[in-house]
Amino acid sequence: MRIIDKEILELKNEIAEMFDLVQHQLARSLHAIQYFNQESAKEVMLYEKRINSQELVIDKACEQFVVKFNPVAVDMRFAFATFKINSHLERLGDNAKGIARFVKELDKGFDSNLMEILQLSDMIELGLQMTKLNLDAYLNDDTSSAKLVFELDHKIDIINFNATDIITNYMKENIDEIKPCLSLISTIRKLERVGDLNLNIAEEIVFYVDAKVMKHSKEFKLKNKEK
Amino acid sequence: MNKYIIEKIVFWVFRLMTLLVVGILVWILGFIAYHGIQVLSWDFLTKMPEEGMTKGGIFPAIVGTVCLMVGSMIFAFPIGVMSAIYLNEFLGEGKIKSLINLMTDNLAGIPSIVFGLFGMALFVNKLHFGDSIVAGSLTLGLLVLPIIIRTTETALKSIDDTYRHASYALGASKLYTIKNVVLPMAMPNVITGLILGMGRVSGETAPILFTAAAYFLPQLPDSIYDQVMALPYHLYVLATSGTDIETARPMAYGTALVLILFVLFCNLAANFIRSIKN
Amino acid sequence: MSSKIEITNLNFYYGNFHALKNISFTIPQNQVTAFIGPSGCGKSTLLRLFNRMNDLIEDIHLDGEIKIDGKNIYSRNTDLIQLRKNIGMVFQKPNPFSKTIFENVAYGLKVNGVKDTNEINSQVESALTKAALWDEVKDKLNKSALALSGGQQQRLCIARCLAVRPEIILMDEPASALDPISTAKIEELILELKSKYTIIIVTHNMQQASRISDKTAFFYLGELIEYGSTNQLFTAPKIERTQNYITGRFG
Repeated sequence: MRIIDKEILELKNEIAEMFDLVQHQLARSLHAIQYFNQESAKEVMLYEKRINSQELVIDKACEQFVVKFNPVAVDMRFAFATFKINSHLERLGDNAKGIARFVKELDKGFDSNLMEILQLSDMIELGLQMTKLNLDAYLNDDTSSAKLVFELDHKIDIINFNATDIITNYMKENIDEIKPCLSLISTIRKLERVGDLNLNIAEEIVFYVDAKVMKHSKEFKLKNKEK
Repeated sequence: MNKYIIEKIVFWVFRLMTLLVVGILVWILGFIAYHGIQVLSWDFLTKMPEEGMTKGGIFPAIVGTVCLMVGSMIFAFPIGVMSAIYLNEFLGEGKIKSLINLMTDNLAGIPSIVFGLFGMALFVNKLHFGDSIVAGSLTLGLLVLPIIIRTTETALKSIDDTYRHASYALGASKLYTIKNVVLPMAMPNVITGLILGMGRVSGETAPILFTAAAYFLPQLPDSIYDQVMALPYHLYVLATSGTDIETARPMAYGTALVLILFVLFCNLAANFIRSIKN
Repeated sequence: MSSKIEITNLNFYYGNFHALKNISFTIPQNQVTAFIGPSGCGKSTLLRLFNRMNDLIEDIHLDGEIKIDGKNIYSRNTDLIQLRKNIGMVFQKPNPFSKTIFENVAYGLKVNGVKDTNEINSQVESALTKAALWDEVKDKLNKSALALSGGQQQRLCIARCLAVRPEIILMDEPASALDPISTAKIEELILELKSKYTIIIVTHNMQQASRISDKTAFFYLGELIEYGSTNQLFTAPKIERTQNYITGRFG
């Protein structure tokens, strides 16, 4: 194996660790909201530090990769994609942290009925699914799951879209619950961002592997509108 | 430790061999210089020989040698250089070239006395030049021709093709390139070959024996059809067949010394030219 | 971009060796085109076909066409001298003649019959200026060219070929024998020259090709594998073999 291939493998492993951390954060923050679990919330806050330091490690590794190898073609695309995926993953972790913080700040949990209607856990599950698909795609240079990722994001978008009315109606009938509801709306928005960020990650992987620039392209926007 | 000692011994053996060689050379030069320096003087160099060559000078021999050197070069240099240019620049590698190179090398290996006989047969007799500077120069020219060809060819070959290509790429023809790029660059080495050839020519005795050299001439030559005296022949004469060999012995040594100094001077000049180039 | 050189179905043989196989592409005017590929792939051979330097080798054979400005340069009535005047060549190792700096640059002019001293003087100055060397040598034009540094010698060789006003400049690894600073100066020079000249450069240096060329042609074992804009070839090459070569993963 060439030296450059060894270093690519090492970089991928670092990113894989980042993925693991993020998945852990998402799962823990789901647990925190669903069961109003302070322990889980605290754990998420702590792990945030590990994500931040891992982000710096990967940033530096990417810089050194570029300096060392002056990469071209697929190697160059790998370096850029990894750099950006790193940034997206850090924001994913941030979003999970934001959700967990609500749990810490509130006196009591959200209305479990409401959470069910909103499909909150579904949103997080979808996010986790997308992250897993992206991790596999990145490690195996395989873009076949990209389409599925786009579809899952679309599902998240729908849940997000419906949430506004649901919560508005709930707030009308439960005026003293407005404060937690605002946190709930924020949570929904953050989960929508989780979907978006995973979409961005999938785009970077397609750029890296297939050299197709997907973002902002009309082609795939139209494709998704069909749903 | 063993290897170290063996190495030291071997190196000392090499050193001794070298000293031996240098020593022999120094001894020969020293011997001749010692015996010859006594006669060396301005008179010796500028006067005619007197009293059966036991006194006087060797001036006519010096003049004769110079004439023969120049004469042989007038013949050998242009022909040699042009042949070398043809061989290196125009003839591609192949059977013909190998054949020509073989024959040139053979020419260089022919004993000088054979050249002398050939010269006598062709120039002196057949072409009726008689014993003369012309005949001697032509004979010596033939002798030194392969040397000129080989040294010039080597000089041309040492010029990297990239310079020729650069010239062609600017639109120059082959001839223009040879004249303006290759020859100027090769010239120092070509001149070196010329001078070494001259040094060689000055010391040859056999070729001039039947073609040019005279035992004794009371005056200097008027024309190229005249005979001449020459240093190597004069040395031979003084040492073996003069009227009074014992008395003439110092003159012989003096002549030998002058001859050696001649050749030494030529070699130094060749070195000098090579060092200018660098 | 008008095409300056058109190569059509080119097959070239050294004796029995099929050195270039079925090459067809065009080289645009006033751009830098890079030829890349492993040793022995034919890129230098192709370069030397443009100014017919390969004519110097015996036992060669050419099929197909090379047209410059629409004219086949291997036709019977091609003026070889004129062709070579129109195409300059810079070699891998700087090869200034063993003459003064001035004489080197004036050489091409004299070859082509320029006699007027003033004309020669001004052309020499112009060429040395274009080659970014004038300021460094203007006070020592009568000194030997061999006293210059490697990088300066190479720029002198460029000036020498610019003096005859070519339209095309061929460069065979012009910077490979030079240190990084001299290399950078040569690269800058190439970028300045390309607005007025069509430049073709053979190089082993991927970074150099991607820095200075507009188009890149990748050769392998005598075939043209891929040809396209440098940007595209180095970002997302279409052919796997190209990618394997430029990323250094050649088997």
